[in-house]
Amino acid sequence: MAGKSSSVAPTTYSPSPTLKKQQRNNQQQPIFKDVDWVRPDGRAFQHCRPAFLRTGAVNSASGSAYAEFGNTKVIVSVFGPRESKKAMMFSDIGRLNCNVSYTTFASSIRGQGSEHKEFSSMLHKALEGAVMLESFPKTTVDVFALVLESGGSDLPVVISCASLALADAGIMMFDLVTSVSVSCLGTNLVIDPITEEESYQDGSIMITSMPSRNEVTQLTLSGDWSTPKIHEAMQLCLDACLKLGEIMRSCLREATSAPHE
Amino acid sequence: MLDKREDRMGVTDVSGDMAGEMEVDAFRRLFPLRFYERHLLESIRPDARPLGKSRDTTVALGAVASADGSALAKIGHTTMLAAIKMEVMTPASVSPDEGCIAIDFHMPAICSPLVRPGRPAEEAPVISKQLTDVILSSGMVDMKELCLISGKAAWMAYLDIYCLDADGALFDAALLSAVAAFSHLHIPAVSVNDEGRVVSVSEEQVEGNSIKEPLNKGKRKLTLSSAPFALTCILHKKYILADPTAEEESIMETLVTVVLDATGRLVSFYKPGGAFLAYTSAVQDCIALTRQRVKELQKILIEAVADMELD
Repeated sequence: MAGKSSSVAPTTYSPSPTLKKQQRNNQQQPIFKDVDWVRPDGRAFQHCRPAFLRTGAVNSASGSAYAEFGNTKVIVSVFGPRESKKAMMFSDIGRLNCNVSYTTFASSIRGQGSEHKEFSSMLHKALEGAVMLESFPKTTVDVFALVLESGGSDLPVVISCASLALADAGIMMFDLVTSVSVSCLGTNLVIDPITEEESYQDGSIMITSMPSRNEVTQLTLSGDWSTPKIHEAMQLCLDACLKLGEIMRSCLREATSAPHE
Repeated sequence: MLDKREDRMGVTDVSGDMAGEMEVDAFRRLFPLRFYERHLLESIRPDARPLGKSRDTTVALGAVASADGSALAKIGHTTMLAAIKMEVMTPASVSPDEGCIAIDFHMPAICSPLVRPGRPAEEAPVISKQLTDVILSSGMVDMKELCLISGKAAWMAYLDIYCLDADGALFDAALLSAVAAFSHLHIPAVSVNDEGRVVSVSEEQVEGNSIKEPLNKGKRKLTLSSAPFALTCILHKKYILADPTAEEESIMETLVTVVLDATGRLVSFYKPGGAFLAYTSAVQDCIALTRQRVKELQKILIEAVADMELD
């Protein structure tokens, strides 16, 4: 046994998860099915986590924003408009290039964040309808997101934060893009779910909208839903998007009214 | 008529001011080296720092809740986020009672316009190696403290450092964040289950005596001896510029990085080539600047730890 362990990279494991997961499966899940239960962080079902937003987090970028919703912490940097890659074909309109990555310590088990390969393209699709691509022809705007810590509802936070960073960079958009997700747990709808709630959800809906135009740029629906529930969840999402939009606007106003360094 | 002319005069005045400003900016972009040398003659830098002065530095502990220890360090605009996650491994047969530290430095695409996803920055692996060398050779962490059961189980500390904003002196900031993360580290309480695996135990379980004594009781904090601190300087002709910004590093390319530990012993001296050769006197000046800087950094770190304990 000792001989085996002298290999170059010793295999390691996190001491926590195995035991905890079993306990959760046995005990906690039924609680979510009841009509009356308390969310792990004590929120009401239709309360979002308090949002902390700040622009100008990264000085070397054209624009950037930091978003913190509970334990979900995200930084987005925007670079450009700058020269497109050499291999790109000529284009009359601008290009939007998006990338979402996770830190190795973002989730509770090390190195699990890289499972979200689809987030980059989802971020791109959520934003491209809102950005006025014809305002920067032949060039590329890069939107790079790094999830510092994953605490649930990561993609909606990334999308909202990215649109704030685009605004900070002075990229023209039809409107700010805001995104909110709702999870369906048994008979209940919970807004802005945390990781724990997401892992037990029966269904999930995420709406990305431009609130002041009342337009939806992206809607994803997965899992088990009934039609009336979908209507209810959509209304919840759109209401929250509208409010989040106001918070983002006031964040931008503060940034411009604050004295420049 | 008269009004109009006055108006026009007003306009020319404004544009005249603008032209003056533009000229300085254009000069800076077209002749960056001459722009800097003109400043150096006056013993001042474009950001109004004297040559030997470092930028404002802050340290915040516990920035990442999902990690066992974490810290955010800022030197000027350069921002580093370091986090440690503890995992269990079987120790190597040659050192059965020692744990291990794996250090990785990342430069994600958000930190600089020069880094693109999929094409990692050239500096990142270099800084990664330097950090590993410095942290392991400084003896700051006693590897024996990372042992759980001799020959059976020991801690593997994964230290990951992310550069969130790259504006020069990356190594200094990365090392500061790493040292701060170690001083914030809380090792989880663990015990051995029936299958022989090491599992974490929560505080309630320990207090309620539902589980036998945790394996590492009283060993939840590392004793850090003589933490290393670094200062990078630029050598340019007879001038020494401490704590350079990214712009300064790109214009004047001879860098010297000195690492001293808290007691003032030399841990590492790194001068990766460059156009200017260092005289003994320049080397001594760099070390003297670092000695001052170590005192500053130690004070900043102690204050950060005290702030954390108050909260």
